[in-house]
Formats: sequence, structure tokens, C-alpha cells
Amino acid sequence: MDILIVVANIVIFLACAPFFEGIVRKLTAKVHSRQGPPLIQPYLDLLKLLGKESITAGNWAFKLAPMMALASIITAIAFIPLGYTTNYLTQYGDIISVVYLLTLGGVSVLLGALSSKNTYAMVGASREMITMIMVEPVLAMTFILGAVKSKGLAIDAAVFSTLNNGYGWSYVLMLVVFLMALQAFVAKQPFDIAEAEVEILEGPFIEYSGPNFAMFKYYLMLKQMFYASLFVAVFIPFLATGSYLLNVLIQLVEILVVFVLIALTASTNPRLRIDQAMKYYAVLIVMSLAAVGLTAYGI
Amino acid sequence: MPTKDQIIKTLKDRFGSAVIGSESPKPERLFVDIKSGKVRDISNELVAMGGRYLVSVGYDSIADNGALGMIHTFAFDRDSLYIGIRTSVPADNPVMDSITPDIPNAGWSEREYADLLGMKFTGHPKPKRLILADDWPEGIYPLRKEVPWNLMPPAAEDVAYQLDECPEGCSIIPVGPYHPTLHEPAHFAVYVDGETIKGSDYRGFMTHRGIEKLCQTQLTYNEVPFVAERICGICGSVHATSYAQAVESAADITISRRAEYIRTIMLEIERIHSHLLWLGLAGHLIGFDTVFMQSWRIREPIMWLGERMTGNRKTYGMIVIGGVRRDITPEIKDDILNVIQKVEEELLVVQKAIVGDTAIHRRTKGVGYVSTQDVVKWSLVGPVARARGVDIDVRRDHPYAAYDEMKFDVPVFNSNDVWATVLVRILEVFEAIKIIRQCLDKMPNDGPVLTELAAPIEPMRHGIAAVEAPRGEVVHYVITGKENSPERWRVRAPTYPNLQGVPLMLLNNQLADVPIIIGSIDPCFSCTDRMEVVDIRTGGVKVLAQDELETLSRQIK
Repeated sequence: MDILIVVANIVIFLACAPFFEGIVRKLTAKVHSRQGPPLIQPYLDLLKLLGKESITAGNWAFKLAPMMALASIITAIAFIPLGYTTNYLTQYGDIISVVYLLTLGGVSVLLGALSSKNTYAMVGASREMITMIMVEPVLAMTFILGAVKSKGLAIDAAVFSTLNNGYGWSYVLMLVVFLMALQAFVAKQPFDIAEAEVEILEGPFIEYSGPNFAMFKYYLMLKQMFYASLFVAVFIPFLATGSYLLNVLIQLVEILVVFVLIALTASTNPRLRIDQAMKYYAVLIVMSLAAVGLTAYGI
Repeated sequence: MPTKDQIIKTLKDRFGSAVIGSESPKPERLFVDIKSGKVRDISNELVAMGGRYLVSVGYDSIADNGALGMIHTFAFDRDSLYIGIRTSVPADNPVMDSITPDIPNAGWSEREYADLLGMKFTGHPKPKRLILADDWPEGIYPLRKEVPWNLMPPAAEDVAYQLDECPEGCSIIPVGPYHPTLHEPAHFAVYVDGETIKGSDYRGFMTHRGIEKLCQTQLTYNEVPFVAERICGICGSVHATSYAQAVESAADITISRRAEYIRTIMLEIERIHSHLLWLGLAGHLIGFDTVFMQSWRIREPIMWLGERMTGNRKTYGMIVIGGVRRDITPEIKDDILNVIQKVEEELLVVQKAIVGDTAIHRRTKGVGYVSTQDVVKWSLVGPVARARGVDIDVRRDHPYAAYDEMKFDVPVFNSNDVWATVLVRILEVFEAIKIIRQCLDKMPNDGPVLTELAAPIEPMRHGIAAVEAPRGEVVHYVITGKENSPERWRVRAPTYPNLQGVPLMLLNNQLADVPIIIGSIDPCFSCTDRMEVVDIRTGGVKVLAQDELETLSRQIK
């Protein structure tokens, strides 16, 4: 049964991630007074890309990178307890492995960008690297907060610590920090700095096309949904019911709400510059450290 | 404030026999003939007296006197005066002093005539090719009369523009020749240290088609306005108007007041659409697509209005020498009033949203800073100059068409950055709406909108006219010719001076600001290149009929 939940996790994410992307695009279009593409457009995009010729612009790392990115995010998804239910794999990983897997995805993007040797990809890669270094701590702190509360590194204990230990002020602070970092986690405006179409033409992904690009696109969609679901699981645990199916459904609806938030923020903000973003991230890191500090004192 | 007589007197006192003579065909025009040896000193003297450098006009007069002519033009904005200093150098040794070391904006004009006429300028700080393709053979100067207009030398391999040297420790980021920021081919090489810009070089003119040469040799006076209008895909009327005014000024043609009012209305309608277009693009360039889409939605009814008035969304084809081609009927008048009313209401909402948005402030305030002194020194024009504390506007300073009777403000800001440019452009839309209302209100009915020319236009007369385009000042210089076509026609679009100021704006900014800085001058490469955009239809399998396309494009929910 536990094994089945692992499979369910992956299937649900793979099936729903493009749909949420479709929601974002539709909503953005509404804000723009446009009609927008149909909700299934991201699925069609992926299909179309998969059917295209694969053009290689670098060495073996160029081809390996998208696979590694996709694999790492799917592995991370397998560990995460969706629907407030731990699965077979959850016990074998800890929060360090989840952070590691998420970072690996980012490293793959860098690897692909650097192996293409494109000038714009280089600039994009350096921006991606800065973003990673500055934003990953916030993610880590979210887990560590739970770990400190539950005095262990287990994933389920860290994720369900609000469910088990109740809401403290430290959680409220962390929730605010996570919300503020959300746009950076999912690389949407004002933090789509590494891709910035009009400056560096999608940065790290400029040389990618066809199936390789499809894998990166899928990776990005899954990553967005992962962060949205993490937020929902950690900070909004109150709606958990007895039934697994109902729990999953409730979480998906909550994720949808998070995506609406992401879309609205993205469509009402211009892109920040990397130096401006760094100042912003620095504030987030300090705030998340403060939250962990508060937990240590039991607040 | 020097008057015309004082200027001539000063020049004669200071330079004596170097000043050969002068003519003033109209109160607000002055042409001074000088000897080529003193060209740099006299230009500097004019700038010292308060003149603003406009453009230089080189021309081939080998058939008349075996010389190449050169005219440097200056504007005295407070006195509504344009001055051209005319000189010439023998064609077998066409060397004259460069005025660029003191008047940096002359750099391109001089390089242009080094390319096109084979002139040489001693002391030019950057004597590189500007206009001609890198594989164009040496020694063929296409603007000389001996070269046929359709000459096509064979292409050469392995030639490339040599970029300026990159400062030590910097790497080169290419912005162009094709880049989503530019929308047209042009190449900026940006030298960055990390993400900070330490310098840049520009290679443009990749689509130069030689419209000036084409019109001088192949077309007649009244065919040129339609080509002139196609110089720019966004602000075509300004070129047609400026050309028509230059010819009218040279040939002393008076047109009816009503035609001048209609010209004013067309120019202002064009300004509204162009400013809204730019506002959208600026939003897109800082990654704010909501501003982009909303501005263009507001702009669309203006395009439809243009179509109802003239038959075309753009490239109205209204303006010819002697007036305009269509009158404004009472029904169209009501139509215009309704449309601009709607635009005004909707833009007020957008203005409020933009002015109150701190995120936009962060991306535009302090970006693209150039000091007011540098703007004056580099002769930058239009919203770029007005956003940097330079109070110039051709409509007010050198009134043409019906602007002398219009009441409007010229918004000027002193924060010297892109943010001020945004404000200037938004406010100018409201001013344009004000002007259109006044025009419709006061428009006289004093005769035909198109005045027939009474006599052939006399040859070898000089005319200069400027029009305030949405991007800045457009200058056209015409020397009339013998066979019902201009002997020389020089176009200077506002992007021509402003683009030369871009390296100044880029310096010490962040790489992420390159799009909005280049975008802030609203670069029109087709204007500077003076090309013709040719739409080549590719055969599609499914062909949509015109009305289907229109219905598709006009479905608004």
C-alpha cells in the first residue's frame, strides 16, 4: 500500500503540474485583457517539443542535464508525503536528502547552461547560481524549523510539525518568509531574473530545443508544483481529514489557490534586477534564521 | 538672445573673409556661406552663441563647380531660427576639419559622408564605417551622381566590422544583430564587468536601402512624401510632413490654414498611438507584460480611427506638398472626439497605476542617467532630452502647421532618468488630446485642403524643416532640383542623435537595464537606416480573407 502511494505521488504530480501552469497562463491573460491559451496548452507544448528534432549544442553534459533535473525533482516528489500521508520511501530519506535533491535540480540547470558555452546562458547561469545560493537557505530553514521542533531530521516530522506541535509565532514568521520567497522558488516575476527573455533570452535554456527542452520545461512545472505543495503541507495542515483521497483532493485545491497567488503576483510586478533581488533575498535569510532561533526558545 | 543680424555680424567680425555671404529667404531661416578652412571655428562660435547642432548635409555638386558641398545646420530654439552654414571642398581633395571633437553628435553625419561621398574629416575621433556594408568596395561613393542608384557590387566573404577595443577585465555581451530587445536588426556590443556596463560599441545601418538616393534620382516631388512616410513604421506622418514643409519652405508655397490644421491633427493622433505603443514596449522590457497589453488595448481604437479617417491604420498617406489629401467631415470630427475621450479616460487609470507602482520606480529611477550638460553637449532631442531637464520642443520653439495657435504644456523633468521619460511620454498623450480638441474646435474653412502649385519649383533653393515626432525632432533638408525632383534630400530622424547618446546612458548601469535604456529612446532603426520595409508574402496553405482576419483581430471580450 505504501509503495502505491509513492506511485500515486509521482502520477499526481506529473499529471497536474502542466494543468497548474495552464491556470497561471490563463489567469495572466485575463489580467492582460487577453483570451489566453486553453488550459491544456502546456500539455500540448510538451507533446510538441517531444516530437521535435533534438539539437545538441554542447558535450555529453548538455544532454545529461535535463534528464538529471527531471530525475532529481521526481525523486524529491517521491519522498514527500502528499495528502498528509507518509509513504514507503519517506522513512528512508531525511530533510537533508530533499534539500540535496532540489539543489541537484538547480545544479543540472547550471550544468546544461555552462556546457552550452553560450554568452547569454553564462549570464543566466551566474544569475541562477546567485538565486540558488540566496534562496535555498530559506527552504532549508523551513525544514530545520520543523526539525528543531520535532528534534529529528525525518521528513514527515519536519513537514507535519505544525500539525503535531501547533502554530507558534516562529511558524507565522516562517510562513511570511516562505510566501515572500515563493516567487523566487518558482522563478516567476519579479524573480524570473535568470531567464529574463528581453535581456538574455531565457538564459540557461537558450540553446535547448525539442525533447531536451521539454524535460527542462516539465522540470520547471514540477518544481513549481512541488514548492506550492510543500507550502500547503507545512503551513495549512488544518483541513486534513481521515480519507487519503479526500486529503489529496483538498491539497490540490489548496495548491490551486497558491498558483492563483503566484499568477497574480507575477502579472502585477516588473522583473527586478539581480542586485535588487539579492538585497531582498538577504532580508529573507535573516528572517528565516530568526524564525529558527525563535523555535529554539520554544516560541 | 542673438538676432539674425547679430549672428552674421559676429561671424563677420570674428572670421572676416571666411564668411563669404548669407541669405535669408524667410525670417526664420538663415544660410551662411563660409570657407571650408574655418568650419570648425564657426560651428563652435554658433554653439557658443546658443545654437543646437541638428545635422549635416553633404551633397555632390561636382557637375556645377567640381566640389562636394557640406552644410552644418543649427537651431536657435528661443528665436525660432534655423541656420545652415554652407561650405564646399574640391572633389579631388575633399578634406575638411571635423567638428566632432567639439560637437560629438556630428560624429555620425561626418562618418556618413565619409562613406557616401568620400569626404575626409581631419581630427575625427572615430573614423570608422557607419552606413556602408562591411563588404562594400573602397572607392565607390554611392551618393555621388556618377554612381547609379541601383548599383549592386558583388558581395565579399570574410569581412566584418571591428568592434572597439574591450576595456581590460571586461567581457563582451552581444545585444544584436537580432535580439528581442531591439525588434529590428542592429548590434550593440556591451562591455560588462560582472553585470556592470563599462562601455559599448554600436554597429547599425544593416538595412540601409538608400531611400535618399532613390528619391533624388527616380521620383518626382509629390511621389516622395509616400516613400518618406514609409521610412518609419510607427511615425510616418512626421516624415511626410517634414519633407513637405521643407519643400514648401524652399519653394515658398503657402497652403490653406485648414490643411495645416488637418496636418496638426494627424501628427497628434500619431503621437498618441506612438506614445502608447512605447509605453507598452517599455513595460515589456522591464518584464511587466500587463502594462504592455493594457497600453496596446487602449491604443487599438486609435488605429481603427486612423483607418476610418484615412483608409489606413498606419501610414496614412494624407500629406503631400501643398496640403493634405482628405478633408475632415463633421461625422469624422465627432468620431475623433469620442475616441480620444475614451483614450483619455483609460489612460488616466493606467497613469495612476504606473505612478503608484513602486516596483516600476525601482526599475526606472536613476537608470540611464545623463547630466543635463551632457544632453546639451550631445544634442539629444525629444522625450529623452525633456526627461533630462532640457526644455526643447519644436512645436513650441519653431511653430509649424497650426501649432502657433495651440495652447499646450511641454512636460520637462529633472530626474534625468528613464522614469522621467515614462512620465514625459504619458503626459504628452494628454497634451496631444488637448491639441486635437483645440484643432477640431477652431478649424477654419478657408479654402481647398490641397493647394495646386502655381508654377514649377525653382531649382537650387534650400529648405529646412523640423517636426516634433513622438520620439523627438525630425529634420528634413531639401535642395530643390531641376527635373521636378529634389536635388538633395536629407532625413534626420530623432533616433539618429539619440542613438549616439546611448553609450553615455549605458555607462555604469547594470546589464539588466540595457533593454529599458535602449528602449527608452524608442529606437527606430528603420528611421536611422532609412530603409523601406518590404513585406514578402510566403504562400500559406490556408488563406484567411481580409474580413476574417479583421474579425479575428477585433474580438474583444
